[in-house]
Amino acid sequence: MIEVEGLSRRYGDVVAVSDVSFNVQRGEVVGFLGPNGAGKTTTMRMITGFLPPSQGQVAVAGHDLEAAPLDARRAVGYLPETPPLYPEMRVSDYVRYVAALKDVPRSERSEKVEKALEACALADVSRKVIGRLSKGYRQRVGLAQAIVHEPEVLVLDEPTAGLDPQQINEIRRLISALAEEEGRTVILSTHILPEVENICKRVLLISGGRIRLDGPLDEVRGTGTLEEVFLREASVG
Amino acid sequence: MSHVLAICGRELRSLFATPTAYVLLAFYLIFAGFVFTGSLRIFLEQVEQVQAIPQYAQYLELFANLNLRVIAPALGTFILLFIFVIPFLTMRAFSEERANGTIELLLTSPVSTWQIVLGKYLAVLCWVGIFVLAAAAFSGMLFVYGNPELGWTVAGHLGIFLLGAALAAMGCFISSLTRSPIIAGVIALLAGLLLFMLNFLAGAIENPVLAAPIRYLALENHVDKSLSGLIRLQDLVYFGVLIVLFLTLARTALESLRWR
Repeated sequence: MIEVEGLSRRYGDVVAVSDVSFNVQRGEVVGFLGPNGAGKTTTMRMITGFLPPSQGQVAVAGHDLEAAPLDARRAVGYLPETPPLYPEMRVSDYVRYVAALKDVPRSERSEKVEKALEACALADVSRKVIGRLSKGYRQRVGLAQAIVHEPEVLVLDEPTAGLDPQQINEIRRLISALAEEEGRTVILSTHILPEVENICKRVLLISGGRIRLDGPLDEVRGTGTLEEVFLREASVG
Repeated sequence: MSHVLAICGRELRSLFATPTAYVLLAFYLIFAGFVFTGSLRIFLEQVEQVQAIPQYAQYLELFANLNLRVIAPALGTFILLFIFVIPFLTMRAFSEERANGTIELLLTSPVSTWQIVLGKYLAVLCWVGIFVLAAAAFSGMLFVYGNPELGWTVAGHLGIFLLGAALAAMGCFISSLTRSPIIAGVIALLAGLLLFMLNFLAGAIENPVLAAPIRYLALENHVDKSLSGLIRLQDLVYFGVLIVLFLTLARTALESLRWR
């Protein structure tokens, strides 16, 4: 579903991501771990087509990002670190607008918008103005816009940042349901370790712009608790 | 095309969700009303003066031209009005998308950068259209009480529409360069004033070889012929080139965000 091959990205002289390669299969939920500044966001931005890589290739759902950028972008739902919201819009109008941008046919829009709002527990606030919502609600609106067009691949950059424990639980349940029941492929970044243990089957650890570890959660845990592994590998970069 | 309309529609709805649109429209209508009634009053006073002198009676019909004495001078002041008003419409276009992070949504959607630019521009153009129609309503009233020439009147309104369209393209481009709507607005205003004042600059230069190209660039030199009822190809080209140039630059500026 996601094929990343030799991906590098430089900002001027600074190398943010260096020769990153990995594949993610359909229905997998991959935890993208790493300290702040490790290159998580840069890698995700390259997968979503926001940043072109300095080197390397990305293909999403079989579409090469360079050769068929529009097809690839259509297959991805993306929640950036700061949810891309228009504060003056109403929740349902906003999600509907995103559905139009993502090529959801007009006849299916109402139904899919409703479904996304339902899934993110936003039905009660659908007529509210986004700017007046709490942070937790805004994060969920961000998630709703990422899933509204039922993309095959979800790229979530710190989806639970700033949420309270109950909200975190709801988001986790939603992500697990999307992967298990609907077969969506999810890659989510985080530096909260329990989150990975709860929903991810596989871990990618990035530090200093390089992949340090890539394997099933159980295997990674074999070499110590996740926290030990994280601290050990993160300090290498 | 549906993407362009979706982006344009969102832009228009958002403007009407904030007080900006209403304040701007109210300001504009009051100003336009003053301008039109003002030039109408001056016109009527002058007609009275001409009528008072019996030997000028034969010239009265020649003098009492509504197009020449009312509509053209009124529309002429719209040049400056547009220079001040249009930056308020364009300042948020891209800078707010950048500040909100919503540009990341647009640039990761299956939408081309041209569609983003055109959607935004179309929304501002709708506003310019509303402004020109409001001005046309004032001119339209003169048709009820007098007999201005239709072609001349239409040409004048087309002239200020093209001017507005060019200023809008410039404002959109400037907005694509910064994250701050205020800075985008102020720079667009200054750039508009600069284009307007090029004529004074050209007037101060004695060397005609130097003055001619500067005079060519000045905005109002491409509006005043249409205010006198003449649509010239060279003016259409001037505005067309400005619009295409600034929209292309805006597209390039957006594309360059990917490389930062």
